[in-house]
Amino acid sequence: MISTLYLVLRRAVLSLPILLGVLLFTFMLVRVGNNDPVGMLAGPTAGANEINAIRAAYKLDQPVLAQFVEYVRLVFRGDFGTSWLSGKPVLDELLLRLPATLELVLLGSFVGGLVGVWAGMRSALHANRRFDHWSRFLSLLGFGMPTIFLGLALIFVFFFLLEWAPPPMGRIDLMINSPKLVTGSYLVDALIAGDKAAALSAAGRLVLPCLVVAIVFAAPLIKQTRAIALDVMASDYVRYARAAGLPKPMVRRMVWRNSSVPVLTYGATELTALFGAASVLELIFSWGGVSQFGLTAILKGDFAVVQGYVLLMSVIAIVVFAITDLLIVKLEPRAAAGAR
Amino acid sequence: MNAPSTLAMHQSPAAVGQLHRRIYSIARSTPTGTVGLAIISVFALLALLAPWITQFDPVRPFPNSVLTGPGAQFLLGTDGNGMDVLSRTIYGARYAFGIAVPVLLFGLIVGVPIGLYAGYRGGWVDEITLRVMDAIRVFPSIILALAIVSATGQSLANVVLVIGMLDVPVFARLVRAEVLALRAGGFVEAAVNAGNPTWRILFVHLLPNCIRGAMAQMPIRMAWAVRVSATLAFIGVGIQVPTPEWGAMIRQGADYMISGEWWVSIVPGVALVTLIIGFSMLGDGLEELLDPRRQKGSR
Repeated sequence: MISTLYLVLRRAVLSLPILLGVLLFTFMLVRVGNNDPVGMLAGPTAGANEINAIRAAYKLDQPVLAQFVEYVRLVFRGDFGTSWLSGKPVLDELLLRLPATLELVLLGSFVGGLVGVWAGMRSALHANRRFDHWSRFLSLLGFGMPTIFLGLALIFVFFFLLEWAPPPMGRIDLMINSPKLVTGSYLVDALIAGDKAAALSAAGRLVLPCLVVAIVFAAPLIKQTRAIALDVMASDYVRYARAAGLPKPMVRRMVWRNSSVPVLTYGATELTALFGAASVLELIFSWGGVSQFGLTAILKGDFAVVQGYVLLMSVIAIVVFAITDLLIVKLEPRAAAGAR
Repeated sequence: MNAPSTLAMHQSPAAVGQLHRRIYSIARSTPTGTVGLAIISVFALLALLAPWITQFDPVRPFPNSVLTGPGAQFLLGTDGNGMDVLSRTIYGARYAFGIAVPVLLFGLIVGVPIGLYAGYRGGWVDEITLRVMDAIRVFPSIILALAIVSATGQSLANVVLVIGMLDVPVFARLVRAEVLALRAGGFVEAAVNAGNPTWRILFVHLLPNCIRGAMAQMPIRMAWAVRVSATLAFIGVGIQVPTPEWGAMIRQGADYMISGEWWVSIVPGVALVTLIIGFSMLGDGLEELLDPRRQKGSR
């Protein structure tokens, strides 16, 4: 247990410099750009004096490095700055929208993960049989579908042609009052409040975007799981177990167990990438989650929000990898022993 | 880009008749790769011949036939500006290749030497390179590309540069891993002792031995480049409407998807998906060809 904790802590501490580096990079990036927020804030009629006043008020007249040090100092005290567009604290704005994105990505990747790992594993166990051909074909197709097109195609088929899905406009029907805010996920909140109409509406809105996330997640996972499992099956110990005549279910369990760690590692990397991909998806479905918010901020040059968003994404990535490490230690005790 | 034939030349410098047989046998051993190559070739032809095979100028509006469905005059309909969707989609292939090829070259030209040097030198050079590469990798690539392009100015050249930059760590890592395995090999030591300068060891002795993994990745990275650039264009960064680029075209049609004018988005979308699948298939084929027993421990 101690060694597990040590492993996770070590990872977290090691990721700090990366975090700082990413932050510095973003910080420089938004400042070298030709998106000048001061002009935007001051308006077209502002004179040079007003512009300079705003510049000074936001400390934009200071050297970039000094600005960065000040920013990091404030972040450690929980102050992420103020959005220049809305005038509200960045952290509040981000946290308000985070549940919507979490709901979408976690639910979608859960479904996609189950299907992806199952299909990939089955593909490997029955390599070059009919199931394998189909799952590889579908994986290729899913991989070829960019999020933008997949989302639109599903909207066209399920909303326009079949009229099964609700319109792709937001997380709940406009006519229905959103449930009392508890977790921030409309579905969960409606269930807590016992509001059946709201729960149904929220669930209905979730289906299509979650399906997109699931497909985007599952397609490469099938391919990777298959490759990993085939590697394991070609290993000496599995071949020996087979030659020794171990019953099939036992060999299969062996393949499962030994594939689990690399599959998990791959899945974790993909999962963090999904949060980025979610931005475009949210745009298509007018989802209004944190990723769409970050995307808009980038386009509008809202520096503080962009920095906060990037920081949030890095923290999410670090949390995902920490959880993965914990799971890996559970599955493979050797990993913890090796860390010491 | 004609991978099977270069392979064939490299393996049998014999008569031309043999070369044909060689190509045929390679094609038979990897049908996936062959189909992929065929798809890519068709699109490459479309891109090359675009001005001669299209019916209309891709940016010529027909104000009287806005959003006309597929029919006799406009085979695959017109978009919201009254421009011919088929002509625009064919011209779109030029943008797809025009972005994917330079992106790939950039990733290779910058990434491979970095990987070679980091792997060969080892020590802190390697350590720092690896950390920086990892920092780029943990970042959601779409967000990073978006931030850089919108910060550095919106031009096609910037889009290429940024996506190419994101490719650098991929190739650097692949090459580095192979160099690490080769470094201990006797031929490197022999080359050092014979007094070869570092650049010669890197590019003459190591490079040919560790480029295979990177080669198999090339089509996959091209698929990725096509995808990312289309996504950027969809968001409206880098490439602006009415440029006949697939991502921008999909965006133009996005609003019509819920009112039934499907062709505006679906036609360029299908082209986009088909080309990406073509690249992925070629990648799968090359992987099979270059290492039939997938390398172990490459993860």
